[in-house]
Amino acid sequence: MPELDSATAAGISRSARSRFGYEERSALLFLLPAMTVLMAVAVFPILYSLYLSFFDIKLTRPNRAPFVWFDNYVELLEKPLFWTSVGHTVTFTVMSVTAVTCVALLVALLLNEDFRGRRILSAVLLIPWAIPYIADALMWKWIYDSGYGALNGLLYQLGFIEKYKVWLGDQHKTMWLIANAFVWKEVPLAAILLLVTLKSIPEDLYRAAKVDGATMWRRFVHITLPSMRPGFMLVLIYETMIAIRHFDLFFVLTEGGPGNASHTLSWHIYVETFRNLSFGAGAAMSYILALVTFALAYLIIRSLGGSR
Amino acid sequence: MSRTVQTPSIASPAQPDYRRRARLARLAHRGVILLGSMLLLVYVLGPVAWLVSSSIQTEKEIVSVPPHWIPDEPTARNFRAIFSAGEEKVTYETRKQVDASSGGYIPPNAKNLLPAMGNSFLVATIVVILNLLFGTPAAYAMSKIRYWGRNGSIYFILLTRVVPDIALVVPFFFVIRKLGLLDSIGSLVITYLAITLPFTVFILLQYFDGLPDELDKAARVDGCSRLQALTKVFLPLALPSLVAVILFAFLTSWNEFLFALMFTQTIKSQTVPIMVAAFTSDFTISFSFINAAGVVAIVPPVIVAIVFERYIVSGLTAGAIKG
Repeated sequence: MPELDSATAAGISRSARSRFGYEERSALLFLLPAMTVLMAVAVFPILYSLYLSFFDIKLTRPNRAPFVWFDNYVELLEKPLFWTSVGHTVTFTVMSVTAVTCVALLVALLLNEDFRGRRILSAVLLIPWAIPYIADALMWKWIYDSGYGALNGLLYQLGFIEKYKVWLGDQHKTMWLIANAFVWKEVPLAAILLLVTLKSIPEDLYRAAKVDGATMWRRFVHITLPSMRPGFMLVLIYETMIAIRHFDLFFVLTEGGPGNASHTLSWHIYVETFRNLSFGAGAAMSYILALVTFALAYLIIRSLGGSR
Repeated sequence: MSRTVQTPSIASPAQPDYRRRARLARLAHRGVILLGSMLLLVYVLGPVAWLVSSSIQTEKEIVSVPPHWIPDEPTARNFRAIFSAGEEKVTYETRKQVDASSGGYIPPNAKNLLPAMGNSFLVATIVVILNLLFGTPAAYAMSKIRYWGRNGSIYFILLTRVVPDIALVVPFFFVIRKLGLLDSIGSLVITYLAITLPFTVFILLQYFDGLPDELDKAARVDGCSRLQALTKVFLPLALPSLVAVILFAFLTSWNEFLFALMFTQTIKSQTVPIMVAAFTSDFTISFSFINAAGVVAIVPPVIVAIVFERYIVSGLTAGAIKG
């Protein structure tokens, strides 16, 4: 593999020596492996899914896949279930990203203080980050369990509920419960990213503000929050991406139910593709999701600015 | 140090009243920190503690209402079943002995968990190595070499990171089927490389940007080639961020579920998350056994994360400050 890369690189640079100097040649050499991999495993699949989305592919009739232009898209947009799932995805994303950001901000402010046991606290905080999503889902499923779960047990012992409840079977509560499992897992990483920006704020700013007689609250609003903008941007982008495409928790906790209460877009894609086996429709939906995610990332970068 | 927000300035000639107010404020500050730490500890550790506690409970205890937070008679039965490769015989009789509604039996595929961990470990290790091999030179070039199309290549990296995993499933499925890689570790290595490499390049790029260009020039003047400048000067300096990258790639590969669900079918290639999910789909299985499987699955990544704790923070620091 490396020999091949250097050979092609040398070939290219020789053919265009006037254009490519030594810098260009070495850059090309260094970039080629990563770029080749990314082209093959990231760009190609996306173009391929665009291509697939124009065909009516059903694994139930493997040898015939007629070209149907935009039929997959049109059909998709006509189905009410699609719009339901879009609604649920938006709800879940807004809900969980807001919660993650707020909780992570509090945690980061706490960890930025100097106190005994801070190191232990930050090490403990890493545990949820390291836990696989599937184990996270499993753990919360067990906690929410209607028969023997900890949530029921705790609320019962504290006298908040009279009898055990079927938490995940409640249409109005499901999304909140799933979001909670998501937030628990995502807060650590978000908190670390925010903590890092907090630490980069120069002390002088606070000292100067204090001399000017700014109260603690005003210092927080006028110094801390604005300085944390890059951190917020990173967290918002990352968490939005993760939340919008999230699948594992829905798979383990509810399978989109009860009814359609947690039927999100990524779950919808899974059902269309691997349960109804209509790959074309799945690809069309994936493509829409990819575009929307990209647009969102662009919007966040534009509105919070600062990055390259 | 960072408590300056609260500490009153010592220099000011303090009136008694002012001093008392300052002391009260300091007390309140410490109270808030203490309360916050306690809340955080309970929030983070509570669920995990309950998982661990219920994994060593007997079947009788685990179905008690209200639950036993601390088991009366702890048992290692579930862990024994996992580590001694399904010693417990499962027959119709043993299955009938226990209350069918509450489960209580240990599945025969309990013995698959350790091989699955082997698979996970192998996949994660290969992905980490490939990430370092491909990612480091790319990040170095983007940061230190002024070549034509440099900004374009950086945007390209960001763009590949934005593609949602679920959008990759369908095309990957066709490609991997065509390559004949379904139900093999190779399929997972390819897909995980796709989702980790952009992040690797991005975080290393931020780190290299933080190191002065003069280092590069000095090395070149001293007669280093580009490659030597990278390996002899920059790699040792970038160690913390390399550790962060290793961790991120390792954890992502260890934890990934969706692609593994689609592309693996047998224990030949199934990874830990798939195995754990398989346990949960059997309704007669013992709850405590599922929880034990969960505990086993989270031990390796948690150990890895805690051991490298200090490196993660410093590694991410370098990446995020410039955001």
